Amino acid sequence: MSIATAATPATPSKPGKPDRPGKAVASDRAKAENRLGLKLVAPAVILMLLVTAWPMLRALYLSLFRYRLTTPDDRSFQGISNYTTILTDPLFWQDTLNTVIIMVVTVAVELVIGFAFAMVMHRIVFARGAVRTSILIPYGIITVVSAFAWQFTFSINNGWVNSWFEWLPWIGPDTNWFGAHWPAMFAIMVSEIWKTTPFMSLLLLAGLSQVSEDMLEAAQVDGATWWQRLFKVILPNMRAAIMVAVLFRALDAFRIFDNIYVMTKGAQGTESSSFLTYRQVIEQFQLGMGSALSVLLFLTVLLIAYLITKFFRVDLAQARGEG
Amino acid sequence: MNATRNRIGTAIGFVLILVWCLLPVVWIISLSFKSAAETGVGSPQFLPKDPTLQNYRDILTDNDFLDALRNSFGIALIATFLSVILATLAAYAIARLEFRGKRAVLSLALAIAMFPVVSLVGPLFDMWRTLHLFNTWPGLIIPYMSFTLPLAIWTLSAFFREIPWEMEQAAQVDGATSWQAFRKVIVPLAAPGVFTAAILTFFFAWNEFVLAISLTSTTRSRTVPAQMSFFVGPDPFNPPYGQLATASVVVTVPIIIIVLLFQRKIVAGLTSGAVKG
Amino acid sequence: MDRVRRGVAAAAALITASGLLAACAANADSGKAQLTWYINPDSGGQAAVAKSCSTDDYTITTQVLPQDASQQRIQLARRLAAEDPGIDIMSIDPPYTAEFANAGYLAPLPQELQDKLKDQSFKGATQAATWDGDLVVAPFWSNVQVLWYRKSFVKKAGIDMGRPVTWDQIIDAASKNGGKVAVQANKYEGYVVWINALIAGAGGAIVSDTEKGIDASIDIDSDAGDQAAAVIRKLARSKAAPSDLSVSNEGTAGATFGSPVGAFLTNWTYIWTNYDAAQPELKKDIGYARYPQTVEGKESRPPYGGIGVGVSKYSHHVDESLKAVECITNAKSQGLNAELTGNMPASAAGYEDPKLHKIYPDDLLKLFQDSLNAATPRSVTPYWSDISGSIQSTWHPPGSVGTSTPGDSASFIDDVLHGRRLL
Repeated sequence: MSIATAATPATPSKPGKPDRPGKAVASDRAKAENRLGLKLVAPAVILMLLVTAWPMLRALYLSLFRYRLTTPDDRSFQGISNYTTILTDPLFWQDTLNTVIIMVVTVAVELVIGFAFAMVMHRIVFARGAVRTSILIPYGIITVVSAFAWQFTFSINNGWVNSWFEWLPWIGPDTNWFGAHWPAMFAIMVSEIWKTTPFMSLLLLAGLSQVSEDMLEAAQVDGATWWQRLFKVILPNMRAAIMVAVLFRALDAFRIFDNIYVMTKGAQGTESSSFLTYRQVIEQFQLGMGSALSVLLFLTVLLIAYLITKFFRVDLAQARGEG
Repeated sequence: MNATRNRIGTAIGFVLILVWCLLPVVWIISLSFKSAAETGVGSPQFLPKDPTLQNYRDILTDNDFLDALRNSFGIALIATFLSVILATLAAYAIARLEFRGKRAVLSLALAIAMFPVVSLVGPLFDMWRTLHLFNTWPGLIIPYMSFTLPLAIWTLSAFFREIPWEMEQAAQVDGATSWQAFRKVIVPLAAPGVFTAAILTFFFAWNEFVLAISLTSTTRSRTVPAQMSFFVGPDPFNPPYGQLATASVVVTVPIIIIVLLFQRKIVAGLTSGAVKG
Repeated sequence: MDRVRRGVAAAAALITASGLLAACAANADSGKAQLTWYINPDSGGQAAVAKSCSTDDYTITTQVLPQDASQQRIQLARRLAAEDPGIDIMSIDPPYTAEFANAGYLAPLPQELQDKLKDQSFKGATQAATWDGDLVVAPFWSNVQVLWYRKSFVKKAGIDMGRPVTWDQIIDAASKNGGKVAVQANKYEGYVVWINALIAGAGGAIVSDTEKGIDASIDIDSDAGDQAAAVIRKLARSKAAPSDLSVSNEGTAGATFGSPVGAFLTNWTYIWTNYDAAQPELKKDIGYARYPQTVEGKESRPPYGGIGVGVSKYSHHVDESLKAVECITNAKSQGLNAELTGNMPASAAGYEDPKLHKIYPDDLLKLFQDSLNAATPRSVTPYWSDISGSIQSTWHPPGSVGTSTPGDSASFIDDVLHGRRLL
């Protein structure tokens, strides 16, 4: 979860800034304003670049070496061979596939559940505070805690899933959820979905409240069914909110790490791209190979962001009304 | 007829939301009252057979866990404080001033919000170990600041654009400089927004895991999520279910308190722009 | 603007101060040297040894590492790579000793101490602690696995445990009589411990010529490897396999053994006292025998584990730490540790502690020592974590192990060592 909260969603209707008479004043003033503006953003920009751009450049450099921390003598320039090794390795593709599956499934499920929650929160007239509070608890909870809670839920010795759902044909008292690929993926996705649906539903709630009640009433008077109103009126009017929610959740889901680390440590082929990168760098001290993976992961995220914005045909910065 | 059906649907939805959101929380609370003996032999029933407070006594006297709590609070609070200061300056400039490169700043913030944190772990570790920042508080505070800045800048600039600027102009007409106008007029008006940004920033820093396990190695700077993933109970070969659940409950209490007190603000912070648009 | 600048400066100062604060907290207390000993988790043995080995010149305090051996390696190695002086003494799991020594993280042990330790320690313990001809860590405790069985079950199944048994025999006996054979087969180091013992029991090895680094000879694709794979395959596909086989570790295997279906268990020495608190009635029913044979008639090679104690090269107190290590690993300390934790001494002298004889039957202590003398440590190589990881990737889950597994793992290990494949 996390940074995705930056998705303070779009305000397309609002022009970026209120009109200011200041603009007409002498250009000295404009220059001073420009200088002040730059000075005010400088610390934040420098810090953001310091911790991202600089290390990323260093990763680019390290990715050209065979370099392992615990065998320092064994360091040599490799050119792009780390990249060719990775791109021809089945493990890399398996992990990328896992990550994409997790991303697509969790975002799709969250979109549906989140929308249902948003509808309820939008309609509800009693206990609004209680609903808001309870929905914010998964949002605020530490992901590691969520992972533990669900790991224990699915635990073969100490979990309640096997006893509560024993009536289902494929679940028995000794169903080992972490013993095979798909059940383990399922458990991981449940934890991810539980933890991040609230974020999704709050963004959708914001979008929902933008849909005009007049239009809905008009549609109802015209005899539109509930489904027609949903697909013809509500959803189209929420496009910007849905787009922001999907973009941020998708990129957040693509970075999935905490749940996998706690629940399976990547066993049963449940590893994600982030987990693979982490293991190469931190567990195996392969700074060269790990850096190459870091660079590839970064490029993949850029690609996904590009594809989603193209797919929804929305320019984020414009949507926010910023010049 | 239709209205009744709607109301029933909403009521069912209400119950479902509560169950979905709270069941896992109730489950870890229940688990935290199960004794080690009970979980050791396997205890699949939901409620403890023989509730005990032993786990709480153990956790609250476990120095490693208390150190981790101290680190978590210290690191999260310092990172939040500094991040919100920098973000306030930047968001003020973005919402209020005309300057070159504004769009670039926003795009940078957006890019960093989407950045795959794990791809920084390698180079950051390598840099931190040479700068002797590995396994220190600043070693976590610095990256936490830069990763919470986008969130804080976006939330704050959304709030700032709602502030009645005429008041600032009035102050400026009265002879105040831009900086004075900012400090005397805007800061008090912006305080609620700043507070909201601070809560969201704190949540991020409190929750962060990837950097916490990669850039720390002892209780000198290890935060709660990392400490929990290394949790060692009295039995070296079995994870201490009850104690892990208890630790989970303990670290969730601050979150629940913040949520109970500030739920309106948090929801507003997460949805600000859209609601008002 | 001045205020802005001052604000930024204050922020920077705050960051620095928080760092200094944390640093001070770590080095508080001056005068008497503080030696920090990083220990693997146990039930208080090492803490007691630290206390008894503290002198007027230095105090030894302990810090606990994570539970999992590979996590312990990661925590230590990262800090050593950062040249952190906060570590003085550390408990190192045998398979990672070579990596630490080869990377130059360990302060050399003085020759007299090496000679003394070589004299007192079991052969396997010395072997596991030696890199490049030198003893690089001091063997502290030595663990070994034996075959634990439920007497009632064996009686029902009618097997003679007086003679060496094979894996085939116990798997058959368990599956015919509704019992389980509990082992360690999660995707972790403990699974490789099992595989290594099976291969060694068939007269083979995973790798040899390890001084050649990444060009070591990879021997897992052999008859011995095939026989090991056959045992794992047989257990995984038999009714004797516990339902959590693919995620089982020492703890879950112990729980399976203690449950009504428990029959056989291969596990470390601590099992003897494991059930004292929760299931005291079990003790009467626990029998023990030599680790099962991979191939009938060929002496079994039980898994070797334990801890060696090393001194960090980056410590500010290397001399004091070496003195402390000498005390930590003497026979008296080894006995004290064994008595508190069930982790057995690395030397025959340590076994003479009278208190141990109160807790453990004499024939069990003898079984432990015989097993230790026959035990085969995992190969000593700086690349062990890569080799072990490669085996975990190719041999897990146990149900997937087949006739091609040893060959696949051999080529995979080779590719990983040469950077041609991702691990």
